[in-house]
Amino acid sequence: MFDKTKKILKYPRLTQDSPKREANFDHYLGNPFIDTSACDMCGECASDCPSNAIFNDEAKGRLDIRYDQCIYCMQCVDSCRLNAINTMKRIFLAEKDKDMLRMSAYSADEKDTVEWEQLGKKLHTEIKSVFGRSLNIREVDSGSCNGCDYEINALNNPFIDVERFGVSFVASPRHADMLLVTGAAVRNMEQALLKTYNATPDPKLVVAVGACACSGGIFRDSYATRKGIEEIIPVDVYVPGCPPRPQAIVYGILKAIGRL
Amino acid sequence: MIRNLISVFNNSIFSSEIKNENELYFEIDTDKVREICSYIHKSKDLPLVSMFASDERDLNGKYAIFYVFAERQQANLLILKTTIDPNRMEIPSISETIPAAASYEREIKDLFGIHPIGHPEPKRLVFHSNWPEGKHPLRKDYKLNERPKIAKEIIDFKRIEGKGVYEIPVGPVHAGIIEPGHFRFSVAGEPIINLEAQLYFVHKGIEKLSEGKSIENCLYISERISGDETFANSLCYCQAIEKIAKVKVPLRAQYTRIVFAELERLISHLGDLGGICLDTAYLFAAFHFRTLRGWAYLVADELCGMRFLRSINKLGGIRKDFVSGKEKSIIKQLRKIRDELDDTAKIIRSNSMFIDRVENTGVLTTRTARDLNAVGPGGRASGINHDVRKDFPYLVYDLLEFKVPYYQYGDVNCRMNVKLEECFESIDLIIKAIELMPAGKISETIPTLEPYSSAFGITESARGENIHFVMVGENNSVFRYKIRTPSFCNWPALCQAVRGNIVPDFPLINKSFNLSYAGNDL
Repeated sequence: MFDKTKKILKYPRLTQDSPKREANFDHYLGNPFIDTSACDMCGECASDCPSNAIFNDEAKGRLDIRYDQCIYCMQCVDSCRLNAINTMKRIFLAEKDKDMLRMSAYSADEKDTVEWEQLGKKLHTEIKSVFGRSLNIREVDSGSCNGCDYEINALNNPFIDVERFGVSFVASPRHADMLLVTGAAVRNMEQALLKTYNATPDPKLVVAVGACACSGGIFRDSYATRKGIEEIIPVDVYVPGCPPRPQAIVYGILKAIGRL
Repeated sequence: MIRNLISVFNNSIFSSEIKNENELYFEIDTDKVREICSYIHKSKDLPLVSMFASDERDLNGKYAIFYVFAERQQANLLILKTTIDPNRMEIPSISETIPAAASYEREIKDLFGIHPIGHPEPKRLVFHSNWPEGKHPLRKDYKLNERPKIAKEIIDFKRIEGKGVYEIPVGPVHAGIIEPGHFRFSVAGEPIINLEAQLYFVHKGIEKLSEGKSIENCLYISERISGDETFANSLCYCQAIEKIAKVKVPLRAQYTRIVFAELERLISHLGDLGGICLDTAYLFAAFHFRTLRGWAYLVADELCGMRFLRSINKLGGIRKDFVSGKEKSIIKQLRKIRDELDDTAKIIRSNSMFIDRVENTGVLTTRTARDLNAVGPGGRASGINHDVRKDFPYLVYDLLEFKVPYYQYGDVNCRMNVKLEECFESIDLIIKAIELMPAGKISETIPTLEPYSSAFGITESARGENIHFVMVGENNSVFRYKIRTPSFCNWPALCQAVRGNIVPDFPLINKSFNLSYAGNDL
């Protein structure tokens, strides 16, 4: 009993940004980015890319990265002879419109200024104005490698603690406002995913978490997978990443609520 | 061993050969498979650790079946290869004598259409009722992106009948944030009479997908077999390719790989321990383990910028010198985790209510564990003292001193203790590896590989023995990639361990094994 109390007193609150900003984003890898001024269009990166995410944008005459398909492996950074590809250390990549992820117009814009604690506060007010009290989420794995599921699990750990923003995970889709779907909508999960979607009461939101759910990721060409869950159910927000960090998932949830 | 086998089965062994130092290949007569396998398994007491088919019609007009036995004391693999004529798609089943073979044979039947004759329960494994008859994707003439129409075949569950016996279907979508799988409990009152797990809900066709890919790209697929075993799987794949290429990985890379492999084990075990506490509604301890896990993730972040240890391995070494300059900070953080873990371990072990719940729950007997080749902490808690790091030493594990905890009784408590003690060993191993790490190169280049050469990679992931078979094709592409993760072996063991327990204990027993669905389903 004494040990227990001692431990509780020693670590009263571990949540990031509490009391002061603790999270350090410096060593996060984030997304790769092609510096078009240094690129000579040799195509080496595109042929090395394991998920075919790099394509030749003929209209603009440059190479670009489809962030929904990218698995953030950084192979292209290694492949480039001219060091034209760098990591942007950006993790808040979620978009409502998939085309936004494919345009790759990511230069330094307002997205970089998102701070984790502010993000949470904003989420909290949005939830209040839209749902009244809280947002209930059901998670469905439609054929992931379980990386994304562990990251969604991490939303409940003492560091992220998403419940303080009024977000909770529920056991049944019938209690849910939002579905967080991971995985490439594989053949054996199709029916279960559809049933879960239909069991969720309207109005409902669907957030595709991870490269597999957004586009099929590295598994997109197989006989058992699909090119993203949007082939089966409508998607409101895409959260790219392989897997996306917990903070990136929260950002995606916030974006989705803004849609209602 | 070789002479012994050849003298007993002189007429049925066509050829024998030693590859990659410790892989003994025998080509045997298909009709004698049953005799030779049971001789090896029963008389020599070698476990069947993998079994798979390969479509070699382009090479010699036939399919090949490989039976892999492990001679753990001598660190040898014994591989029996037999060929199947495409006109006669049958093999004699060995499941009657070797229960561990049952799932492998069903898998081969689904993916290749080779029927195991005399199999006690030859129903579908990989494919569900939506898959049409007669389509076998791992045959070379099946196109990767061919998605057959939805079929309506019927697959029955095992029916247990009797007065007061009823069924509880659970899943595939579960209440918690976990992967999908369907469990069919047959119960009488509270105790479980039988559990049948229908898995393969997340079957993605990874083995087919990797065929024809370049060996570099296939590395990324191997990293995505099972999210929380990323490093162990990619290491296993790299090991196989490095064996084929006969490349020796520089020492610095080997030590760095140990740091990451043990870090992954630590993260995974801390998650499991938290899960065990959560499923017994012991929230204080559960959240402390989650905190520890969070700290371990911070270590991973600082080392490589990835929480899931992806993009670290490279064929022939590691991608960057991840550890240099961070030694002090990493060791400091690990010492803190170790001290706190020690405290938490004392607290949970002295809580009699908690121990009461985990003791005698979900017993996996040594006999069953041996029959089904249970591996990893699941096996070690049931008296099978086997750890790949000791038995098939890879990297520089043989230079580092560490203990492998093992228990006899096989209940949740034993599995929990194995994991708890392994956490301490892993932390000590990381610190030792960082301290002893020599300076030098971090990777070697992989030359062009000889077409159709093959090798096995064996590593110990957090869940246990991991065996990957890689055969390369022309132009450094992958011809056949067989993945056997520890979850594949331990799922049948879990189904046995829950028998006789009450339904509310199932989540607890499940968590104490913590098997990967993705790693099993592929």
